[in-house]
Amino acid sequence: MNSRLLPRSAPPLLIAAAVVLLALIETAVALIAPSRAPTDADWAAAARQVRADFRPGDLIVAAPAWADPILRVHLGDLIPIEVAGRLDDDRFARVWEVSQRGARAPATAGGTVTLDQRFGRLTVRRVERQAEPVGYDFVARWADAQVSRVETARTVPCRKTGDRIQCPDLSFNFVHRQIVEVDNRLREALLAQPVGQAVVAIEYPAVRLGRVLVVATGLHDTWMRKAARGTVAMRVIVGGQPQALPTTSDDSGWTRTRIDTSARVGQVVPVRFEITSPAPYARHFAFAAEARG
Amino acid sequence: MGGTSRRADRLIAFGLALGTVLWLLAVEGREGFGRDEAQYMRAGERYWGWFEELGTNLRQGKPGRSFAASAIDHYWSDNAPDHPVIMKTLSGLSWRAFHTCTCTGAARGLHPIPVRGRHRTLPLFSRDSTAFRFPAILFAALLVAMVFRFARTWLPPPAAAAAAVLTLAQPHYFFHAQIACFDAPIATMAFAVGFAYWKSLRDPRWGIAAGALFGVALGVKHNAWLMPLFLVAHYLWMRRGDLRARRLPRPPLAFVAMLVLGPIIFFLHWPWLWNAPIARTRAYVVRHLDHEHYNFEYLGRNWNQPPTRAAMKLLRATAPFVETGFTVPVTTLALVAFGAAALVRRRREEALFPGGESEAPPAAHPSWLRPGADVDRAPGAFVLFQTLGPLCVLAVPSTPIFGGVKHFLTAMPYLALLGGVGLTAIARGLEGALPVARARLRRAAPAALAFVVCVPAVIETRRSHPDGLGHYNLLAGGFAGGASLGMNRQFWGYSVLPMLPDLDAMASENRSLFWHDVLSDAISMYKREGRLSMGVGDTGFGEDGIKRSEIGILFYEKHWAKYEGWFWETYGTTQPVYVRAREGVPLVTLYRRGAR
Repeated sequence: MNSRLLPRSAPPLLIAAAVVLLALIETAVALIAPSRAPTDADWAAAARQVRADFRPGDLIVAAPAWADPILRVHLGDLIPIEVAGRLDDDRFARVWEVSQRGARAPATAGGTVTLDQRFGRLTVRRVERQAEPVGYDFVARWADAQVSRVETARTVPCRKTGDRIQCPDLSFNFVHRQIVEVDNRLREALLAQPVGQAVVAIEYPAVRLGRVLVVATGLHDTWMRKAARGTVAMRVIVGGQPQALPTTSDDSGWTRTRIDTSARVGQVVPVRFEITSPAPYARHFAFAAEARG
Repeated sequence: MGGTSRRADRLIAFGLALGTVLWLLAVEGREGFGRDEAQYMRAGERYWGWFEELGTNLRQGKPGRSFAASAIDHYWSDNAPDHPVIMKTLSGLSWRAFHTCTCTGAARGLHPIPVRGRHRTLPLFSRDSTAFRFPAILFAALLVAMVFRFARTWLPPPAAAAAAVLTLAQPHYFFHAQIACFDAPIATMAFAVGFAYWKSLRDPRWGIAAGALFGVALGVKHNAWLMPLFLVAHYLWMRRGDLRARRLPRPPLAFVAMLVLGPIIFFLHWPWLWNAPIARTRAYVVRHLDHEHYNFEYLGRNWNQPPTRAAMKLLRATAPFVETGFTVPVTTLALVAFGAAALVRRRREEALFPGGESEAPPAAHPSWLRPGADVDRAPGAFVLFQTLGPLCVLAVPSTPIFGGVKHFLTAMPYLALLGGVGLTAIARGLEGALPVARARLRRAAPAALAFVVCVPAVIETRRSHPDGLGHYNLLAGGFAGGASLGMNRQFWGYSVLPMLPDLDAMASENRSLFWHDVLSDAISMYKREGRLSMGVGDTGFGEDGIKRSEIGILFYEKHWAKYEGWFWETYGTTQPVYVRAREGVPLVTLYRRGAR
């Protein structure tokens, strides 16, 4: 009996055998796959290895990134909020990667693997690499900032009140160090909402420059990104020299810009951030910056 | 088909349905309550309250009281205008009939209607929630039986049975099949309406049935609005000869019945509509035409509004097809491909397979009572439109996709049917290739093959439970592969259930518990069932809820990230005390204030 409904080129026995083989493979994988996940014992052993040689300032990451919460169960005490919400990975000279299923963390790219050890289903790697030391962290030193709202006819100074620098008359016009969610990831940053028809200016009067000034920007809060479409512009003036950053929109994510300051290494200059928006409604603008190198 | 064969088919259909009920009842207790399900249970119990009051009024000889506008609205405004009430009402009635009453105990105050005394019931189920879920489980069983019966018109018994099993053995369908919601029941109704329509093409009795079933479908969920589109598409294709001859095909009885009976049944079934039919029907329709885009993760992005850029629209349009490709067991998908090829290669007016229903026209002239009697009914186009139709609607970039596969679950039984067709094509090829002398082997081959192709689907489905939403198939790489691809893992807080014993044991701290996405209705039901102590607290929603809490949970979905930030800031640590994971993929995290 011939099945006219099968493709003519394929022998029926071969097709049936292929389907049976596929069924067997799928069944086998479904039965085996759960045991490929790391166990608590694997995590505990990997954590012991990391702790044994951990130094303050090291970065610990999970690969794939979705395993990060489990990593923090075991090693979260070594991952303070400012590290978990870091601007980027470039300032870390030593990175501990706890990986599974052959995944690699972007933070380890370009480094030298100095330790590579398996613990059951987990692999611990220590990667050493060229780091960019941070000379001035604008988020950590938020209290140094002088904040003002520059309107058409006047400049309104803002004052430090408690955990923020608050500007008068507009409750949402403040600068606040906090954990923000940009592109569905958490960052420690300064939240500074733009104001219509005005410039929100945040000036640090004395910043010692390194080789590079790294500024990262984005829009905080997934619901706020859903609520509006306006863009936000930021200009950075480093010692009198202005530099425009890419416009921030709902789709920008966490955008890093590197401003070359190598010609002025060691100079102490004012650095001013100016924030504007043509449509500031629900624009929870957040930024972080570091003078490095 | 002979009498013996018909009896055997009925027995097999019954066995499949019974197996479905037993499987679902055996495992449903491990699946937690999502936000929507807990609300539907509450609404179902409240709807029962109306019947209870009607009974009282009848005994007092004043039934009219129950039909006063205020009495109707008192009970039936719950969960309106969101969803019609057939499933919720059945849930409420099932709860009333089958729960084991501990209702006068400590949880008495957690019922949405007053408990006046101990309920006399047929206590089939120890948990209230099982009784609420039972009607949906019966609908799933009905679907499995119907798929078998329909498949038998085209396919031999082993392939038809396999199609029925493959309908149930899909991790995402299985997840929805056991809960007191509407997504699996509307899949049953879509298949029932399609089945009746198909039969009506050559049998007028089924035309009326199609209309009545469509009315019931309208009362189950709003997906029913789309059913006529896919049926009309098939009808026009089937009668394309009329169009070529530049004459309009006659409207068939099924469509007339759907047009007449559908709205009548819909209106009659929902008392909430009675007080202001036009305004409230409009409110219901607008609610869904204007539905909010909730958050949903797909290919690494959080989607919560219609995309505006062309590239994003294109990516968004792939969602239903990629989700199908990544969630339906791969062996089933392979059979579907063979099934599609078989339907394409079928010769017009011939049965799909020897022994199946013939497509030779039994009549020479068209009739609106038997509109498929003078033409080939185009079974391939029928299955194609019913399968691809729901997926194509969800591919429109402006359509919300927050439910994932559940939004096009109505396609899945047809997909399984297609799998049965593919299986038959392969089995017949295999039979033909085996030596004639091996008669026993040739006879056994189709059944053996049917068994083998069902095994991976059943094993995958078993593996996925109770976290079917986060499960992805062999192509995607299972739970871990889905997470790496940035696919949705869960929604609406159902996945906390396995953590309840631990949360319950954290006495004193759990008086101030932040429940994140678990709604108070779900917490109440967990308490009613004794899965949580009555003293366990709920600190409320949002950042303030975390600030008031001593312990708290967080569901891992992209859009909830800022809640984790609030935990870090409020509790002063990034270190959770526990993560509930499946195959290493985090689902729920537990934070404790001051934990180091």
